[in-house]
Order: sequence, then structure tokens, then C-alpha cells
Amino acid sequence: MTTLVRVSELKKKYQTGEVNFEALRGISLEIAAGDFVAVMGQSGSGKSTLLHIIGGLDQSSSGWVQVGEHRLDKMNQTDLAVFRRDQVGFVFQFFNLVENLNVQANVELPALLSGAKNKKEIRRHSTELLERLGIADQAHKHPWELSGGQQQRVAIARAFINSPRLLLADEPTGNLDSASGSEVLDILGEFNRQGQTILMVTHSAEDAARANCILFIRDGRLVDHMPGGDEKAIAQRLLELR
Amino acid sequence: MNAIWEKIKADLFRHRIVSILIIGTITIAAALLTLALSTLLNLGGPYDRLFAEVNGAHLWVFFKSGRVNTTDIRQIQTLPEIADSTPRQYSYRTQVRIDDTRAWVTLRVIPDEQPVINRLYIVDGRYIFPEYGEVVAEKSLDTAYKLAVGETVTITRSDGRDVVLPIAGIAYDVMYDNYRSEQAPYLYVSESTLRNLFPDKDTWDSSLGLRLSDPQAVDNVLAEIEALHNTKFVETHTDWRDVKESALFEGQLASIFLSAFGFFSILATVIIIVSVVNSTILSQIKQIGILKALGFTGRQILLVYVGQYAVLSLIGTTLGFLLGLTLAPVPMQAMTASLNTTFRPPFSLPLFISVYLIIAGAVILSVLSAATHGTRTNIIKAITIGAEAPRKKMFWGARLANALGAPVSIVLGLNDTFVKPFRSFLAGLNLVLGVIGIVFGLALSDTLETYKENPALLGIVYDAIVTRQQVSDHLTERRLMKAPGVEAFYGELQVKAWTPDERTFKVRAMDGELDQFPFQILEGRFFQPGTHEAIAGKGLLTWLGLEVGDAITLRLEEKDGPAATWVIVGVYPEAADAGQRLMVDLSSLRRLVKNNDPTTYYLKLSPAADIPGLRSYLSPRKDSAISLVTLEEPIPDSVIYLQAAIFALAGILIAIALVNVLIMSLLAAQEKMRTIGILKTVGMTPAQVVVMFNATAASLGTLAVLIGIPMGLFVTRDLLSILSDSFGFGKISVSLDLTQAVILIPFIILVSIFGSYLPARWAANLFIVRVLRKD
Repeated sequence: MTTLVRVSELKKKYQTGEVNFEALRGISLEIAAGDFVAVMGQSGSGKSTLLHIIGGLDQSSSGWVQVGEHRLDKMNQTDLAVFRRDQVGFVFQFFNLVENLNVQANVELPALLSGAKNKKEIRRHSTELLERLGIADQAHKHPWELSGGQQQRVAIARAFINSPRLLLADEPTGNLDSASGSEVLDILGEFNRQGQTILMVTHSAEDAARANCILFIRDGRLVDHMPGGDEKAIAQRLLELR
Repeated sequence: MNAIWEKIKADLFRHRIVSILIIGTITIAAALLTLALSTLLNLGGPYDRLFAEVNGAHLWVFFKSGRVNTTDIRQIQTLPEIADSTPRQYSYRTQVRIDDTRAWVTLRVIPDEQPVINRLYIVDGRYIFPEYGEVVAEKSLDTAYKLAVGETVTITRSDGRDVVLPIAGIAYDVMYDNYRSEQAPYLYVSESTLRNLFPDKDTWDSSLGLRLSDPQAVDNVLAEIEALHNTKFVETHTDWRDVKESALFEGQLASIFLSAFGFFSILATVIIIVSVVNSTILSQIKQIGILKALGFTGRQILLVYVGQYAVLSLIGTTLGFLLGLTLAPVPMQAMTASLNTTFRPPFSLPLFISVYLIIAGAVILSVLSAATHGTRTNIIKAITIGAEAPRKKMFWGARLANALGAPVSIVLGLNDTFVKPFRSFLAGLNLVLGVIGIVFGLALSDTLETYKENPALLGIVYDAIVTRQQVSDHLTERRLMKAPGVEAFYGELQVKAWTPDERTFKVRAMDGELDQFPFQILEGRFFQPGTHEAIAGKGLLTWLGLEVGDAITLRLEEKDGPAATWVIVGVYPEAADAGQRLMVDLSSLRRLVKNNDPTTYYLKLSPAADIPGLRSYLSPRKDSAISLVTLEEPIPDSVIYLQAAIFALAGILIAIALVNVLIMSLLAAQEKMRTIGILKTVGMTPAQVVVMFNATAASLGTLAVLIGIPMGLFVTRDLLSILSDSFGFGKISVSLDLTQAVILIPFIILVSIFGSYLPARWAANLFIVRVLRKD
């Protein structure tokens, strides 16, 4: 399998006033194309920071990230925006949909931002995604008119509109009830089975169990990894690492 | 209370940029308001100050030749209302030659040193040295003949010898009325000089300048003076109030524009304040909800916002008031320049109170209205949704742009225009105001161009004026008939007239080829030759309370002179005067006045007329009795100056609109930080963020310019109509040059985009992770 994501000696420092905080302290890892990787750790361990830097939302203090052929530390803000739009799909805990756009417009937004001329093709693709996610009948509704689970499906549809090489999910079930959360994970699992590379940050051992590989982070360092599947073993390992 | 004050302080410092911008806009508004009010309150200031400085006479009485003696003078000087008096002042009316032109002047004797009462205000040069035989020229003579200190005038002595007198100085006489005066322009000489020129003192006229204990009692004092003598010994008089009115004419003209100026500034002030306060409070509606959830009462929340804006308005108004006072002499520049003085409006308590009350009132009212709306908002709704629920339907402009295949950043930007409709409306209104200002300036400019091209619209229907001296009307007319380049001419005799209630003005009695001149009639029609019909200036009708169709009976030359009645059939325009004249056919008064021939002739010249050739034909010798004056600048300087002022005002209004767009964009950027974060996450580039903001501003600018241009034309038409009605200008249709209108559209759009640029750049550089974590 080819490597899609390479992370080397990644460090991230924050400074708030006179207080320095090191969120990442030299993380190196590789994610193969088609993999489903979950990142676990306590709050403040640096897992979301890692996700944000890999997704080009944040920049490292040192070290580097390469996604496919893209070295993120060599990119300017415009290149990073184009990278996010074309190479990465994001799914967040709080959905992050644009309130004054309807479902279909939200889904189509990344495709339209890329300046794609064929609007009919975009519409066909977005409709297909909404149908696949079971929310085609909600296409003309606005986000605030939908349930949390439905909103997260919209976010997933939006994430896939440009067929990204990497899907980044930050606590995708954190704001959902267990049934909706499970449905969302089913969807992500289905996409993964079709070859989609997924990197997911989660607190939940149940969610992490859906992944092929689980990475454990503590105090900004990658401290362990294990295969997915066994929820209890994952929970146990998490407990041990506290 | 402590919690409220802490909250006020925290908010002011947290939204530092917005606070500074609000202070900036309030400063501009307060400065404009101070400027407008101080000008309106101090219109008479320059003249009053000058009058006080030279200890001006309130009443100047001119006696009939040989009818007044020393006893009479003493009697007048001892009247109870007389506070002080000049000595008897002698004068002599004669002709003077200035270059090639002959003009009637009044030689007035002045003491060897500046008099105590009615001193001359030396504008250029100096007071006379009596032994040098010098003269000082009154400013109006300088204006008419462009005299300069060091030049000379030539006067023919009573023995026929020419005497050349050097001009030592140019002076302003606060009691020379260049509109109503019977007096020819003044040349001031020493008594010895006058005696040298015209030794027979019996031929000298005399007059007396009086300072009154009650300056408003001019009419009473005059009646008392006239009652002192059995025979009529008062020839004429000058009332200081009339001179002031004439002197302030340009100031009054300025005041009309400044009223518009003031109106614009107050409107801009209110719009800015309402816009900023509403925007700020609506953008903080979630915070209001949180404060309510924390236990703040509606009243306490109101206090928080009123307190915040009271602090901002106090700072802004103080700065604006000081700025306005500093700039206060600028709008009065034209008038003070015409009086050859400078004037700085003094600090005045009513002005101070007015500015603070208007600004503070506008601030507090708008804060109360916006904050009351905020405090009534449901807590849950305020916290979860904000001021308004997101709009379900896209703005039609955005839908149209989308259908036309516009980039999504433009579509989103257009849609944002109406996300906060009230705020957009106010920002748009401010832009509209700026557009109106520019259109006003441009239309005024076009109008002035039209006036320049066709002075007839201002009542100036002729190309040149000819005056005759020791030559008959008959000979002058014969000469004019043969003069090269003269297409037509008419003669005019000015006759002093008295209304039944003893108001005086001048009647222009005209004779000649009147139909060859493009007389403009604002209302009614021109008089029929050979009839007792008349046309009047607008100012005269207003002054006398008459209308077209009314009859007017006047006594001519003397208060009890022969009477005649005319029917007013029309109204004519006047350029720089107050229009207090009546035009009649000369034949209607020929039998009533003694010297009934025209003395002035108005010429219509052929386009290719050779002016120097015409001048040498009419005045072949230096002492020729016919003088030609060609018309130069028909537009009053003050109007030209005001044109620049209007453009300056338009610039200020555009700057205000720019600040408003900037504030609006900044608030919008702050409000939708999270949305921007989301858009950036899904791939919106920094440039696309900027385009989105610019599209919002550009759509506002486009709407503003499309509304502003017709509104501007409407406002200009109405203001020029007021000007026309007040001063008797000709009415012309106001238009805006198409090229200017076409240029104005992108200009305003660019201004709007410029206003949104900094907030757009700020939004484009937002740190995504931080804004996404905010909620």
C-alpha cells in the first residue's frame, strides 16, 4: 500500500501571554492510502492539533507533513486553501455548516469554490451523495431545520463532494446521540471500505474500534498504537495510558 | 452600578477598533455640525466686527446743497439719541479718469488723520498724507476699475486743468452701500486737495455721520432730523442696516448653501450614529442574551449601552466641536475676503450646547431604540440564534448572479448584503448621501457652466456697458449706431423711487432695441413698450409683498416727487444683487423727471467684435466723454467659492460613507467569523474571502449610486430653486453630464469596495482553528 500521509518530527508550540504550551512534541507517523486510523488521547493531549496540522488548518512550529505529493510547510495560505478544498474533507463535532445556505448549497460549496464550471455535474454529484447518505429529501432545508445526525450527514456529504484523498474527522460523533453516532460511523466505514483514507480523532473506544489502527497520544507524543476492532482492548489501553 | 461601569469599560476596550471608528464618525459629524451652526450663527459677525473696529456711523445724512448751516448741524448733533457725530463732512461729485475710462465719483473730504467715527478700513496701501495731494479709493471703485496703490487718477479742475492724483491706499468704508446708494463711488481726499481742485466751497455738498445710542432707531432719528427744518434739507441718507445687508449678500448666498451643508451634516450624523449603534448592538445581541441570563435587568443592559455610547459621543463631540471651531472661518472666507477682513467665529455657549444636545440626543435615541429591541429579545433565541434567524431565501441579486454563473464568493457576498437588512439599509443610505453630495457638486458645476455660457440666465443680457459724460444722449446713440461690432443697444436711466410707505429703491427706465436682448422672465412676461407696465426683481416683490399682476405707485426723484403707477407684468433675474429694482419703459416716466435721458447704454456685440477697436472708436481720446466697460465675470466669486466648498462637503460625506462601510464590514466580519472559518476550512482562499466582502460592499455601492444620482438631481434642483427664489437667479433645468454619471457609478462602487477592504483582509487572514473553537 502506498503511503498517503507522512508526518515527521512534528512540533507545535502555543504562546498565550507569557505562558508557553507545547501541544505536539515531535510526532512522526505514516498513514497508508485506504487506511482508517483513529487517534485517541485525553483532552489537551494534542490529537486535534495533529489533525488540524495534517488538514492544513494550522501550521507546525517545526517538522513537516506531507499528504500525497503536497508538503504543507512549503505552502502559502492560498495553496493551503486549495489543498484543503481538493485533497481533504473535514467532518467536525459541531458540523460547521453555513447557516444561511441550504443543505444542497452547503454540500456543493467546496466544488463551487474550486471554480468548477460544470454546475450540472456538481448538482448530480451532490444529489447522489445526499441520496447515499439518506438525506436527499432534506436538500432544500437549512441546517438549523435538521437534527444533529442529519447535519453530520450533510457535513459528510460536503466532505466528499470533491472526492478528497483524505477524510479528517474530529470527534464526528461527539455531538450526537448513540444511534446517530453509530449511523455516522457506519457511513464512514462504508466509504473506507471503498478505499477512502480516514483519520479520525475520538474519545470513544467504541468509535475507535471501527478503525484499522488506533494511535495513542499523550502530552503531545505518540506513545502507542494498536489495531482496531476490539473495543474493550482499546478502552483498556486508553485507561493504562492515563 | 460598579458591574455596569466595568462592563462599559470592558466593551469599549474589547471592541477597540469599532470604538475608535465610532469616535471618528461622531467627530466628523460634530465638526460638520459645529461648522454649519457657527456659520449660520455668525453670518453678521465679520461686518459687525469691522463696524465696531472702525467705530462706524449708524446713520449718514446727506444734505441738499446750500440748505444746511452750522446751527442745523449743531442741532442734529445734540439730539438725545445721538451718541456721537462726525464733524460736517464735505464732498464733491465729479468725474475722474481712470486709464481710458471716465467715471463719476464722489470726492469726500477726510481729516488729516483717521477720523474717530467711521474710520476707513485700509485694505491696501495707507492713509493719505494731506500735503502730497493723494487720494484713497473706496474698495468698490477698486473692484470696478482694478485700481492699484501707486497708480493715478486724473481729475479736471474747475479751471479746466487736469490734475493727476496718486492713489495712496484702497479702503473699505463700512457705510458705503453699493446697491441702494445714490452716491457715486468714493475717492477720499484732504480738504486742501479738494480746495485745490474745486475752490468754491459753496458748490460742495455736506453730510454728517451719526452714531446712535440705539442703533435700531435710525428711522426715528431721521424723522427727528427732518422735522428740525421747515424746508427739505435732507437729500438722502444711508442706514447702516442696509449697508450690512448689501455687505452680507454673499454671506447670505453662502448661508443658503450652508443650510444645505448643515442639513447634510445633521442627516449624516444621525445616519452614522443610528447605523453604528444598531449594528454594534445587533452584533452583540447574543451578549445581551447572556447578560440577561446572568441576571442583568433590561434597564441595566440599556444603561450599559447608553453608557458606552455616552462615553464615545462625549469624546467624539468634544473633538468634533474643537475641529469645527478650528475650521469655522473657512466657510465664511468668501464673505470675509469681500470685506477684506478675517473672522474667527468666537466660542459661543448656545453653539456648544446645540452641538452637544443634537449629537448626544441622536446617540442616546438611537442607542435606546436599538438596545430596547435587544433587551426585549428572548434570552434563548438571543443566545442560540442572535439578532435574527438566518434568512431562508437568498437575496434576488445573489440568485441572479448564481444563475449568471458568477463565482460562488460573489454569490455569497451578494447574499450577505441582505443578511442584516437594516444595517445594509443605513450603510447604503450613507452612501446615497455621499452620492447626493457629489451629484450636487457636479450638477452645480454644470449649472455654473451654463450660467457662464449664457449670462442672460443671470439677468446679464448684454456684452458691454457704455456710459456718457459731457455728451448728449442723442450723440451717444448716433455714435453707438455706427459703432463697429455693436449689433444692438438700449439706454437706461436710473431714477430713485419712493413707495407710499417711504421705502426707496431704484427704477431702471429703459429705451432702445429691447427685443434684441435675451431678457429672461422668471414669471409673467416682459413689459410692452410705451405702456405703464413693469417687470420687477424677485427681491423687490418679496420686499414689498407684491405679486405679478399688482400695481405699484411710486414717487420719483423726491419723496414728494411726481407719482406714477405701473402694473407689474413679470419677474426678471438678477446676478449678484438682491433684485430690488423695477424695470419700466423710459417713455412711461419721461415727462415726470427732469433729466430724462439715458446715461448708461447696454450693448449686444457681434461674436467677432473687436473690443479694443470698439473702445478706440467710442473713446478716441483720453478725455473722451464716452466710456466702454466690457463684461467679464458674471458669476459671483462667492458662488464659485461655494462650488469648491460643495465638493469638499461631498468629499466629507463620501469619507463618512467610507467609514460606515468599513464599520459595517468590520462588524459583519466579526459576526460571521465562524462562517468565514468554515468557508476557509472547505477551501475558500484568502482572495475569495476578500472578493466575498467586496461583493457585499459593491452591491451596496451600486444600489446607492443608482438611487443617489436621481435623488441628487432632485435635491440640487430644489436647492437651486430656493436660491433662485431668494436671490432672483434665473431658473434653469438641472442636469448631470452623462459622462460624469457614468464615471460616478464605478467611483462609488470602488469607494464601497475600498471601505470593505481592510475588514476583508482581516477576515481573509483569520486563524481558522481559533474561530472554529470560539463557539
